[in-house]
Amino acid sequence: MTQKPSQATFLLVIGAFGFAVFPHLLAMPASIAGLIVLAIVWRAIAAMRQSGPPQMLLRAALTFLGLGLVVMNFGTLWGRRAATVLLCVMLAAKLMETFRLRDARVVAALCFFLIAIQFLFSQKLVLFGYLLVGCWLATAALIRIQGDDDDLDACKADSSTNPGVLSHGLMLMALAIPFALVLFTLFPRLATPLWGMPDNALDGKTGLSDEMSPGNIANLFADDSPAFRVEFDAELPAREDLYWRGPVLWRFDGRTWRRLFYSERAPERLPEASSAPLRYSVQLEPSEQRWLFSLDYPATWPDEARLTADFELLAKQPVTTLMSYQLSSQPDFVDTPELSGVLRRMALELPAGSNPRSRAHALELRRRHADDRALVDAVLEWFNQDEFFYSLETAPLGRHGADEFLFDLRTGYCEYYASAFVVLMRAAGIPARIVTGYQGGYWQRSDNYLLVRQSDAHAWAEVWFDDQGWTRIDPTAAVSPSRILGGARNAVADARNWLDAEWLYQLRNQYDRLQHLWNQRVLGFDALRQQNLLSGLGLGNIGTAGQAALVIALAAIVLGPLVFVLAGLINSSQPRGRLERSWDDFRHRLEKAGLEMPAHETPMELAQRASGRLKNGHELQTLAERYCALRYGLIADPIRVRVQEKQFRAAAMAWRACFEPLNSRDGPID
Amino acid sequence: MSSARFSTKPASPEAAGSRWMRSLQGWLSRWIQRRGPVHPPLLLGYRQVYILPTRFGWLVALLLFAMLLGSLNFNNNLGLFTTFLVAGIGLLSMHIAHRNLEGIRVQHCQAEPVFAGQDLQLIITLQDARKRARSGLIAEIRPLRRSRGVGLQRSGRAELGLPVPTRQRGWMNVPRIRLRTRYPLGWFEAWSWFWPRQRFLVWPQPADHAPGLPHAADQDRHSHPGDESDEFHGLREWREGDPLHRIAWKASQRHQTLLARRFTRPDQGQLLLRLADAPGASLDERIAILTRWVIDADRGGFEYGLDLGATSIAAAAGDQQRVKCLNALAELG
Repeated sequence: MTQKPSQATFLLVIGAFGFAVFPHLLAMPASIAGLIVLAIVWRAIAAMRQSGPPQMLLRAALTFLGLGLVVMNFGTLWGRRAATVLLCVMLAAKLMETFRLRDARVVAALCFFLIAIQFLFSQKLVLFGYLLVGCWLATAALIRIQGDDDDLDACKADSSTNPGVLSHGLMLMALAIPFALVLFTLFPRLATPLWGMPDNALDGKTGLSDEMSPGNIANLFADDSPAFRVEFDAELPAREDLYWRGPVLWRFDGRTWRRLFYSERAPERLPEASSAPLRYSVQLEPSEQRWLFSLDYPATWPDEARLTADFELLAKQPVTTLMSYQLSSQPDFVDTPELSGVLRRMALELPAGSNPRSRAHALELRRRHADDRALVDAVLEWFNQDEFFYSLETAPLGRHGADEFLFDLRTGYCEYYASAFVVLMRAAGIPARIVTGYQGGYWQRSDNYLLVRQSDAHAWAEVWFDDQGWTRIDPTAAVSPSRILGGARNAVADARNWLDAEWLYQLRNQYDRLQHLWNQRVLGFDALRQQNLLSGLGLGNIGTAGQAALVIALAAIVLGPLVFVLAGLINSSQPRGRLERSWDDFRHRLEKAGLEMPAHETPMELAQRASGRLKNGHELQTLAERYCALRYGLIADPIRVRVQEKQFRAAAMAWRACFEPLNSRDGPID
Repeated sequence: MSSARFSTKPASPEAAGSRWMRSLQGWLSRWIQRRGPVHPPLLLGYRQVYILPTRFGWLVALLLFAMLLGSLNFNNNLGLFTTFLVAGIGLLSMHIAHRNLEGIRVQHCQAEPVFAGQDLQLIITLQDARKRARSGLIAEIRPLRRSRGVGLQRSGRAELGLPVPTRQRGWMNVPRIRLRTRYPLGWFEAWSWFWPRQRFLVWPQPADHAPGLPHAADQDRHSHPGDESDEFHGLREWREGDPLHRIAWKASQRHQTLLARRFTRPDQGQLLLRLADAPGASLDERIAILTRWVIDADRGGFEYGLDLGATSIAAAAGDQQRVKCLNALAELG
């Protein structure tokens, strides 16, 4: 027997697959995505035209083309993204030859897998909708396929018996949700992973990198996605103190700033943990990097991270899922009181022969100001008073970047200023380095947390004063104080595009509250919180076996009654219209009133039999006649029929049986 | 009277497996029969409905396990939720599959006799006893790979005709019938077994080439009995073996069933079909020829009788006589 499902089945399977693969398409190289879309569209057209599968050779060629594109684009078939893209390609190829029920089944089932895989890359709130809709479509497709399969056995030519697969699928899924919630909360979690996460797992989640060349951060400014959120134990510190410390950069090759290998040591001296006044918890979005961000200077930090000599916090593993950590900071801490000879040399090094004008200017400043502090102030004042502008739209820098910026361009943003400033400092003989990270953030007053976006990325400088150690100097603040006080958005005069409209910005902030709750309650739920929840319920030490028993018990409670409702609900393959239902209802009422209602009786027979026992039997006759005319009569004018149906329903609803006095031999039971 | 045991050998290679397999099958059948009623009419209750995942169901389970492991490892909460949601859907589908079968009343199995070699149409009548609609009910005889499906309305009744191949004349035992459903997702298969209570009679296969009717050959040389040269007698329902040109197309269309013209000769003689007259090497060959004669005589509108040696049937005409004769031939031996 050839197992040929119907056209509608295929369209549903294609739809489910197309939906499940959609977010993957957005993340993969355009060439592969195009190939997959092509396969889907071709298959849909083939389904509509009822044509057969393409030539074996063509299918094989397309499959190998896809395989080749994956290898070309990723360089490997391993790694999470490459493997996922490969799976999508293979499924699209499978779709091309899916002309039998069992193939359609496999594709539909793998839709669930595709959906689950998507969450390895992102678990944003909107994707929960994707989960629900995707599972719904795949379930409906599976129901439809099974219906076709059964119809084949029943030797039916067409499969019109499954009109409501979408609603059946929806119902099935909706009823499974409570069960899923029980398992979600109570299923024992792994406290430590069984295997590690491969690098480069996330989609284009760049965040801050560990090097900087002016022009780098610019793409972050356009990125309004959250970098992390912070909740303070006490009140929010002043805005100008909100410098979220990230990578510290020393080595400069004339264009790019890089970290120093030397920094990997542990710091010699630490702030005292007990007196640290700032306590806060940070919820870091996955970034694929190891940087954790803290305010100056971290005194306590989580076990999964370590502190470097430059007071950078580095996680032991790249952050690939939402990560929460507790910190405390001591802003008044004085960093290492002495700078070793090696480090001093590093902090003064400039590439030979670069930026001659800056060097000359630095020497000139040095001559005028013997004191380091005075020199720094002079430079900041120069930035502030002279014609320097803060703008995101600026030109890229050439070979003598600092010279071009300081004397010609004079327009740029934090990276430009920080870089040029440090070059000046070093030329003047003051040890200096660059710190990158984030500055400021948006205060969600209603939920008491600070939202730091990627667009809050910032770069500033630290200079060494012999009596004070490393001291933070932000040259950008000298040029554009509003950048520091109001955030990057306020520093730029005109909005970048219409997306910057104020109300939209507010809306996005509101949405972030939801996302924050989602992150905290749903995504942050792990083994530890599960344990806390169980302890809160007084079930702290029931153990895994007890937990399993609890899952089963609750699942039975949730699922048990559903099952009884369900089979009848889902299975009503012939949906009854309003008219039929009102008649059923009518019969039901008559039965309650004491007339027996054999299932085989037609409305007319019923009326004939019952009317003898009723005072208002002729009314029953009329009703039955009207019902029969509406139900079985020829439809002449659909609108008039609808009106008549409505009238009939009202009449049937209002009608009450009125029995003859109880002297007859077969009177009502009641 | 011979009782031709139904043989599954040629139709199913795997059933001809080892003795061990067969003894296991026997044990299974006895175990099922100990569990409750197995002959219609029976109500499929909890003790009669079995359920297991299908192969596709196992595949999905494997998929879910992979999803679970991956999501647990990375504490990927949305991945976990997807896994649990699909698991929940699967669990519900298991219950639905079970309840799709539970509470069905198998009323009876009936079949009209057929000639050996034709398919016996086993009509199985199902009735919903739980006020639930059912879909995708499929009756099958596993080793024969025959299956037919049907659905049930709420409190409804439905019939399905399961074709059962026949090989030998005589009384046939229909093997165990399996009523199964994979509704709604095809991840679980619920099934019940039952045995038809009665045996079904299979008429002998008529011989393809038989000598003409003994008495007709003697008396009438120029025309075969009951052909178109004779007087039109009337219409009767078309039977297997009637020539196509005898179909009364116009009348058939009016009556929505195939009708054949029937011709009779006004001066019918009586035929006596004797087993002893039928040529043939074996008893079955002779029975085949006799069967053909009975059919031809009936079609010709003759009055005919049967003499089988031990038993004999007095001459008569009509459908009843035909059935009586064929039954006698089926049981002979």
